[in-house]
This record gives sequence, C-alpha cells and structure tokens, in this order.
Amino acid sequence: MKQIRIIAGLFLKVVFRNRALAAIYAIWLLLVAFAAATGWKTYAGQQGIRTQMQQAARQSWEANPDKHPHRMAHFGTFAFRQKHPLSMFDYGMESFTGNAVFLEAHKQNTVNFSEAGFSTGLLRFGEISLAMLVIVLLPLILFFLGFDAVARQKENGTLKILLIQGAGFTPVIWGNCLGMFVLAIGFLLPVVIAVAVLLGMQDAPMAGGLLRGSLLLAICLAYLWLAGVVAICVSARSDSGRTALLKLLGLWLFMTIVLPKTLQSAGSALFPAPGKIAFDTAVEKDVLAIGDSHNPNDPHFKHMKDSVLKANGVDSVQQLPFNYGGFVMREGERMSAEVYNAHLQGLYDIYGRQNAVSAWAAFADPVIGIRNLSMALSGTDFGAYRKFQDDAEAYRYQLAQTMNELQIEYIPNAQPAKNEKPHQIGREHWAEFGDFQHEFQPVPTVLGQELPAIVAVLTWFGLSFVLIFFTSRKAKAL
Amino acid sequence: MYRLAFKHFIRSRAVYIALVLFLATGIVSILIGRSFQEKQQASADAVTRLQKEQIERNVTYVNDQFGLLTYYLRFAFIDKPDPVAALAIGQRDFNASIQYLTIRGLEGQRYDTGLYNPYNQLAGNLDLSFLILFLFPLLIIAFCFNALSQEKEQGTWPMVKVQSPWPLTFILQKLSIRLVVVLALLFVLLILAAFIAGIPVNERLLAFTAISVLYILFWFAVCFVVIALRKSSSVNALVLLGAWVSICLLVPAAINNYLTARYPVKEAFSTFLKQRDGYHNKWDQPADSTMNAFFRHYPQFREYRWKSEKFNYMWYYAMQQAGDDEAAAGSSAMFEKLRLRQASASVAAFFFPPMHAQLQFTDVAGTGLSQHLQFLDSTAVFHEDKKLHFYPKIFGDSAVAGEDWAKHVPAYFRPENPVRWAALVTPFVLYIIVLAAAGVFLFNRKPAN
Repeated sequence: MKQIRIIAGLFLKVVFRNRALAAIYAIWLLLVAFAAATGWKTYAGQQGIRTQMQQAARQSWEANPDKHPHRMAHFGTFAFRQKHPLSMFDYGMESFTGNAVFLEAHKQNTVNFSEAGFSTGLLRFGEISLAMLVIVLLPLILFFLGFDAVARQKENGTLKILLIQGAGFTPVIWGNCLGMFVLAIGFLLPVVIAVAVLLGMQDAPMAGGLLRGSLLLAICLAYLWLAGVVAICVSARSDSGRTALLKLLGLWLFMTIVLPKTLQSAGSALFPAPGKIAFDTAVEKDVLAIGDSHNPNDPHFKHMKDSVLKANGVDSVQQLPFNYGGFVMREGERMSAEVYNAHLQGLYDIYGRQNAVSAWAAFADPVIGIRNLSMALSGTDFGAYRKFQDDAEAYRYQLAQTMNELQIEYIPNAQPAKNEKPHQIGREHWAEFGDFQHEFQPVPTVLGQELPAIVAVLTWFGLSFVLIFFTSRKAKAL
Repeated sequence: MYRLAFKHFIRSRAVYIALVLFLATGIVSILIGRSFQEKQQASADAVTRLQKEQIERNVTYVNDQFGLLTYYLRFAFIDKPDPVAALAIGQRDFNASIQYLTIRGLEGQRYDTGLYNPYNQLAGNLDLSFLILFLFPLLIIAFCFNALSQEKEQGTWPMVKVQSPWPLTFILQKLSIRLVVVLALLFVLLILAAFIAGIPVNERLLAFTAISVLYILFWFAVCFVVIALRKSSSVNALVLLGAWVSICLLVPAAINNYLTARYPVKEAFSTFLKQRDGYHNKWDQPADSTMNAFFRHYPQFREYRWKSEKFNYMWYYAMQQAGDDEAAAGSSAMFEKLRLRQASASVAAFFFPPMHAQLQFTDVAGTGLSQHLQFLDSTAVFHEDKKLHFYPKIFGDSAVAGEDWAKHVPAYFRPENPVRWAALVTPFVLYIIVLAAAGVFLFNRKPAN
C-alpha cells in the first residue's frame, strides 16, 4: 500500500513537472468557464422566455369572453417544453427536439421550433457542454498526460531499478492508476464547482436535482477512473511512449468520435422509420376506417345515434336532454386519439429499436453508455422529451374532452334562431380548466430506462480491475 | 527514386489498412446519402398521391360550398434536394422539405416539423462530407506526422542529407506522395458516389470536389508547418491532433454555443401565439372591423358581398388573414435573427477552414440554413398564389365542379443558389499560401541538423 502511494506520488510529481500541464489546465479552465457560462445563458434565457410564453398563453386562454365551448376547443392553447436545470451540464438532444406545441381539438400538432431548425451548419460540429468536456475531451487530456507514465520508465530504465528494488508490477500499475485518478479529479473539480454554483443559483424546483447530480458525479468518477486505467495499462504494455500515444489516440478517436456515430447510423438504417407524410396518411386512413364523425352517413356514428335515441326513449336528437353534437365529438375525439396514440407508439417503438443499437453498444464502447446515462440524468434524453410529448398530448385530450363535456351539459340541441345570439357559456369555465403542467420523470424511471447503460458502466468499472490484474502479470520490463 | 518512395509508402501495411477502412466507410457514407435521397423521393411521391386522393375525396363530399372545401384542401410545395445533397445532407434531415398547406393562415402551418428520432439527429449523419471534414484530416495527420521525424529517429536523415542537395525538396516529395494517395482516395470515392448515388457531373459536383481538394491541401499545409518545426514524432502527433481537436471540434462548437446564446429566437414563440390570437379573437369582435382590415390588405376584393345569409366564408378567411397579418412583424423579426446567425457564422468561418468547408458543402448542396430560409420565404409566395387563386371563387361562391382540379399538383421550389466560386475558394487559397510560406520559412530557418 505504501509502495502504491509512493508510486502515485511519483507519477503526479512527473506530471506536475510537465511544462504543458499549466497551459492545458488553463485552457481547460477556460473551456469549463465558457461551457458553464453559455450553458447558463441558454438555460436561463430559454427558461425565462418559455415560462413567460406559457403564462402569456394561459392569460390569453382565460381572457376569452363567454363563448361556445367548441370555439374554445379550437382556440386551444400551447405547451412550452421546460428545461431541466441539469441541462446546463449536458445539453443532450435538446437542440434537436421541438420546444412548443399548439394543443387543439381533433388534431395532434407537431412539436415545433427546435434549436436545430434555427441553426447554421455549425451545429453539426456539436456543442460544448460541461458533459461534452468531461466525456470527450478529458479522456484525451488524461491520455496525453499519462501515455508515457510506465513506457517512459521502461525507455529510460528506471522501471528496471524499481522492479529490482522489489516493487513488483502490481504496485507500479496500481500506483500509476491512482495517480491518474487524482489527476482526473483535479480536472473534474472545476466542473463540479461550476455545476454546484449553477444549480445553487436556481430557485426553480430541482426535479430530483440533488440525486441526479450525485449519480452524475458517480458515473463521471467511474468513467475517469476507467480512462486512467486504460491509459496506464496501454502505457505498460507498449515498448515506447510513442506507440503508447498512438494506440491511445486511435482508441480515443474510435471510441468517442467514430463508433457512436456509426452505430447510430446503423440503427437508423436497420429499422427505417416512416416520415411525416407516410405517418399522417396511415393515421388518417385508420381514423376514416373506424368512423368519420364529420360524415353524416358514417355507420359507426349512425349506429351510435340510433342506440342513444333508443336508450333515451326519444325519436330525434333535438329531444335529447343533452347536447348531441358534443356527444358525437367526444366519441370522435376518443376514437381518433386512440388511433393516433397507437400509431405514435408504433413510431416510438421503431425509434426505440434504433436507439437500442446504441444502448447495447455501451458494452463495446463505454463512452456511449456514459453519454446515455449523462443525458438521461440531465433530463435531456429521449425519455425526457417523450415525457413532455405525452404530457402535452394528455393535456390536449383533456382540454378537448372538457370542452365537449361542457357542450354536452350546457348547450341546447336546437340551433339558435336567426336573430338570436349564438349559444355560449360563461367565461368562468375557462379558468376552471387548469393550466398545463410539465413534470420530469422521477429518477427511478429514468434509471429503469437506462438499465443497459448502467449495467454496461458497472461492467466496465469491474473490468478495469481485471485489466489492472492482467496487465500487472503480463507486462514486461523491457 | 520518386517511384521507389511511392512504392515504399503504399506497401506499408498500416497505410493499406487505413485506405481500405476509409474506402469502406466512404462507401457506407455514400449509401447513407443514397438512402436519404430515396427517402426524400418517396415522401415527394407519397405527398403527390395523397394530394390527388384528398382533392378527389373532398371535391366529392363537399361539392356545394367552395369556402368549406378549401378549409380542408391541402397543397404541397416541395423542396427537392439537389443530387449533391446525398454527399452533404446538412440540416435537410430535420428541416422539412415538404410543405403541405391549406389556404388558411400560413404562420400556423409553415413551421411544422417532420417526425424524427432526435438521437439520430444528435449523432448526425455519416455522409461523405463528414468523412472529408472530420476523418480525412486524421488520415492526413497519420500519414504525415512523422514524415521527417521518423527519418531522424531511425537515423536515416543524415544519409538523406548527403544524397539530396535540397532537404526541402525531399520532404515536399514525401508529402506529395501522400497527397497523391489521399487525392486518389477522394476521387475514387467521388466517382463511386457519382455512380452509386446517381450524381450528375455538373458545376455543383465540381464545387463539392473543389472544396474537398482545397480542404485536403489545407491540412497538408498544416502538417508541413508542424513538420518544419522539426520536433519529435510524439510532439508532432500531439500538436497536429491538438490542432484537429481545436479547429474541428472545439472552436466551431464554441461558436455555435455563442450564436445560440447570443441570438435566442424568442420571436418564434411569440409569433406562434400571435397568429393564433390574431385569428381566434376575431370571432368575438365585430365582423366589420375584420373585413375592413382585410380590404385594406386586399382592396381588389372590396366589391364582393360578404353579408350573406349563409355562414360567411369571406369573413372566415378574413379572420385567418388577420392572424397572418398580426403575426407578420414577429415573423419577419424571426427571419431577420436567423439571417444574423447565418451571417455571423459565415464571418467566423472565414477564420476557420473546417467551418468554411462545412458551410460551403451545405451551401453547394442546398442543405444549409440559407436555402431553408429561402424555402420558407418561397412557401409564403406559394401560399399567397393559392389564396389569390381561390379567394375570388370562395367569395363569389363559384361552382366546385367548375374548377380544373387536375392542375392542382404539387409545386416544386426552385432555389436561387448559384455556386459562388470566389467566396468558396478565397479563404482556402489564402490559408494554404500563408501556411506553405510559413512552412518553407521555418524549414529553412536553421540548418538541418
């Protein structure tokens, strides 16, 4: 144990003597500050705009005068996607997901205005977030600072002296890995401080922020430990620093740049998803097939009318004790929403299969696993987006059906006479219908969705010790 | 001697493996581009069929009221991607290339997005432009980083110096061998692309090729400067990879972050609200004021009688128009902001060749923001044409059967997107000249030791 400490200390001493370290650390701090500042500015700016817009939409809704409830169902309202405070750490796929959706009766609109739609081609270069710095850039820095840890000692012969003194390979590897880990923590520290400060500045509800943050910290530490172990083991197995460096750089490129993109491309090619036109056509076809509430001769609605009349013992809809138009629309809304949701579920299943390729690939490439977990915990993954879409659709449905209920209850069946005012109900009903609320998924749900990534990361963490063990046994001093 | 050196280089196993890997990835990227084109074509065909069917269906069902019929009818406006888009998909995979619109308010329709898996967007497309932009530089770096230092580290440099009177010529010769190999790889891929993805050899493909060649030359110039510093192989590898990480990853991403934070597009959301309110609130307001506003916009429709006994479609479309008119200022402010983003990105790109290459690739292929903005602008013109065609028929209560419905087929967007050669070439040439000169200067600075 003491040997390990001494060797770790030696590793750090050599790294601190590296003239490049100060420059690298300065650039690192600059990047962390930049990522934190733009992350905060984007989060605070967007969150402010969207909260304000959500309130404006609500005011506009409540400001409606007395009117027919079906007019209100078409007046509709908007849902604006809220950002999780941890999106300041990891932007995830937020730039590519829509941010606002118009909610009205009969129609499921698309979630529009993604940041990507407003972006220049530069977005394809990616974004600098604190997560990107930790997951992509930091391993590269660690590789750079650690590639010759053992290889150099091999080259200049000090390794032999160490081994002659009875150190054995095991403490050498352990010591260097520990040194790397300490170094990694040194680099992670400003990120942790930045996130703590950013979160501390928020007075918005955290949506499990503390738990999410702690888990993020844990996976980042596990990941950096793994990166350090890989660097040291590659260094120990290489004849020279140069080959160690080239191997590590190749590994980094492959794991962080090439593989994630290639595998996702493979996923989307293997499971082709329909485009919007094809999707809408299929939905419309199915809706028309089960019943068209706008068609007076539609068999489903004709049958419904007959049974309703019979049950109430009347022979025309004018005599019904409730508004029949509202009744038909309630049924139509229920049916079309069911069809739509079934199709949407089918589409999401395809997306799920596409993404599963990446999810399972975490066992081959830990970077993918860490990235998926980081997005999920930051509330910026596909699950978080889907939660918003589901919440918005549920609210849309509730809005349409509440207006239908009001129509069924308060609107007479007879058409208003020519010089009469159109049928309407009091405006107090608008405020009674609550505002749209968006909540983030609870942490256990998030973790459940990311089970492959969690198992993969734990496996990789375990493998790091296996790697140390075998490297210690197989490594040669010459 | 040149031929011998060439053979020596090409026969190395690492070079061979690298070339095969790149060729394979290149073919995959071309196939991805082809499948993108096929998907676009399939969507265009689908919407053409759909439009025909829904016009036929609605014309049969709603045959007595023109105003009600045009409430339902939708018309497609298609931005068919140029064949070169298969090589640089840009933002075309998430910016909708088909607008399928009714003649009701435009602002509530034209920003509708398609259905996408955001994870695919996040990962980005593995198209040929990605391969050239991100991976070709790495190939060049791998080929060149030890061109000189290896000779020194293996002890062959003194021999070279003795045999060759001009060490600079020797190094340039070595680099030129690598350049020939990389360019050969590029041309093989481009020829394959032309065949596999069916890209005609025209000015656009030529421009794409020019960007690729100039970009490759730029990276060779960067390598030359680093080699001329005469450091060890490890230092060279680190410096070059550092350069790659900085100008291919960090700087463009940082500038994108800055643009996002600097120009938040708040107008998009407020326009979204305004067009809804602008239209819907008219239901509760006196029809006269709505109609007067409509006649101020379209004085040519003043003569139509709008106070008829039936439900008044003229009033209805005037309300829809009010939504667009009240959202117009916000909408143009939004476009203004997007143009600002585009302009700032172009200025920044002048200083960073990878950004310049990316923006030029998407400009040439018509897959970037500028063409998308043009498409959205043209969508407004298309929508206006349709409205002006149908308004007189709605307002005059024409017979539905009197319309020639067969001529309402999808329209295609014709972008004005000439290749701007001077803007394309200039930054590259400047950088290549400056770097090459710096390289020669550094190389000759001290006597070769």
